[in-house]
Amino acid sequence: MKTERLKKPLFHLPGNLARMPALDSERWIAFGFMVPLLLFVVLFILIPVLGTLVDSFSLDVTYLPKRFLGLENYDWLLRDPGFWQSVRFTCLFVVVSVPLEIALGLMIALVLNEQLPMRGLLRACVLIPWAIPAAVSGRVFELIYNYSFGAANYLFRVLHLTDGPVNWLGSEAGAFLALVVADSWKTTPFAAIILLAGLSSIPDDLYRQAKVDRATFIQRFTRITLPLLKPVLIVTLLFRTIDALRVFDVIYVLTGGGPGGTTTSLSLFGYHYFSAGDFGYGSAASVILFLLAFALSIIYIRLGHFEQEVA
Amino acid sequence: MKEDRFKKILLALGALLTVLFCLSPFFYMALTGLSLHPDFLLPDRPLCITLSHFHTVVASDSVHFLAFLRNSLIISTASAVICVFIASLAAYAITRLPVPGKVFLMFLILAVSMFPPVSLVSYLFKLMSALGWINTYQGLIFPYVAWTLPLSLWILMSYFAQVPKDLDRAGLIDGCSRLQILVKIIFPVAAPGIFSTMLLAFIFAFNEFLFALMLTTDHSARTVPVGIALFEGLYGQIPWGEIMAAATITTIPVVILTLIFQRRIIQGLTRGAVKG
Repeated sequence: MKTERLKKPLFHLPGNLARMPALDSERWIAFGFMVPLLLFVVLFILIPVLGTLVDSFSLDVTYLPKRFLGLENYDWLLRDPGFWQSVRFTCLFVVVSVPLEIALGLMIALVLNEQLPMRGLLRACVLIPWAIPAAVSGRVFELIYNYSFGAANYLFRVLHLTDGPVNWLGSEAGAFLALVVADSWKTTPFAAIILLAGLSSIPDDLYRQAKVDRATFIQRFTRITLPLLKPVLIVTLLFRTIDALRVFDVIYVLTGGGPGGTTTSLSLFGYHYFSAGDFGYGSAASVILFLLAFALSIIYIRLGHFEQEVA
Repeated sequence: MKEDRFKKILLALGALLTVLFCLSPFFYMALTGLSLHPDFLLPDRPLCITLSHFHTVVASDSVHFLAFLRNSLIISTASAVICVFIASLAAYAITRLPVPGKVFLMFLILAVSMFPPVSLVSYLFKLMSALGWINTYQGLIFPYVAWTLPLSLWILMSYFAQVPKDLDRAGLIDGCSRLQILVKIIFPVAAPGIFSTMLLAFIFAFNEFLFALMLTTDHSARTVPVGIALFEGLYGQIPWGEIMAAATITTIPVVILTLIFQRRIIQGLTRGAVKG
């Protein structure tokens, strides 16, 4: 502050304004402004993640003395069929739900991008599933999938799609599908909103010119929309992939990981051990999930950086 | 012309399907909350409309729903306000001042936003247990502030970058400190952006589940998502009417917020994601 006041008489020289305050004091102010954020991130995110890493190398069970184990937890993990099942489920969940969400989101974005009456209201409708807690919408879907009186089996009966009611949450395939649908319903709006931003940045002139050239609707989509949307599509894809990889809320509420552990995601696998008091083993599973997500986010950041440099 | 009409029909159909896709679960939810029995979709089961489930949820002492709602509102609002203030300090520094190691810091913060919550929740649980902060507001507010900071910072940076730097210079000439410039000049100019960010931070804190599940054991600080997820009946039967009534009450403020601030929310979301 002091230096600023000292330099004040210089203000009538416009050329000196830019470097008016001394650089050193600016650095300190900048540092001071960053401190609260860094403090929160370090105390409540970075240290806990490191703590989890440390825990994963030890026997850390409630009421038992903590003991260093080295890589033993990981060794157990790699021989644990339950762990591999949750890895398989998580990967399958990502591979099925993310493309579905992006395809649906793209369709919705294409609709929202047009001149429609009540466009604002329509956009707000799309936002609502995203804005509701996943645990709450998970409960609604639990009711929808209810075996005896849920809406899903009602629709199937009215439309004569199956002979009898489907046991959605009690069968492996049914529970998987139920989760994919519930999760897509919740996250498609997000994909749609991001893709909409990409769509609206494509200049209208291109489409007008294409119309003059008598390009069909499909040609316009594949030759203009898709190529120009590619960067945003990739960003959305990675963003959604990282998010789907750590899926927890909807599964906890809808299937609890069942039936028979077939829908236990990696997050839920770790949580089950935490809630049973086995922090070491749960931490090892969490670290593996962390590494997966981290690798993907590095790709994401690289791509984002790349986009910025190009733009 | 033929193609135009075809396109119009297709669009109308698409819009209709979109609305159906997004809203039909909510109608089912509200209807079940209002229905005396949850099985009204079965043949020869009448639909009897009643407010009794809503009454139970609000009035019954054993349900604690209003306590969950109050906890959620207090925790999310406090987190959003603290988070946006801290994030705007940092966003100001990054867009205006020579922050040492700027690029590294931004990458770190972006990477942090993609950490799986399960990879820190066990340590947070131990930390909060040691501090005696299990079942307290601060036990959730602190992690929520940290958790929503990266996204808020990212969004605010894109808003602050648009504020002309001449305003800062004018402030410096008038003898304002950097903090005064931020509060007196940048905040009013970037108010819409700050408000969008606060809305998003609020929604993220309001929707958070795993931390709230791990860090609360009773109704003194438990939030709505966990309350509704763990809502079970006394006699083994799931009280669908009450659950859906509670879900409906939770949904109403969120729907009102989204209807009013749809544009702000979308703007914030796209800045947070696409600019990354």
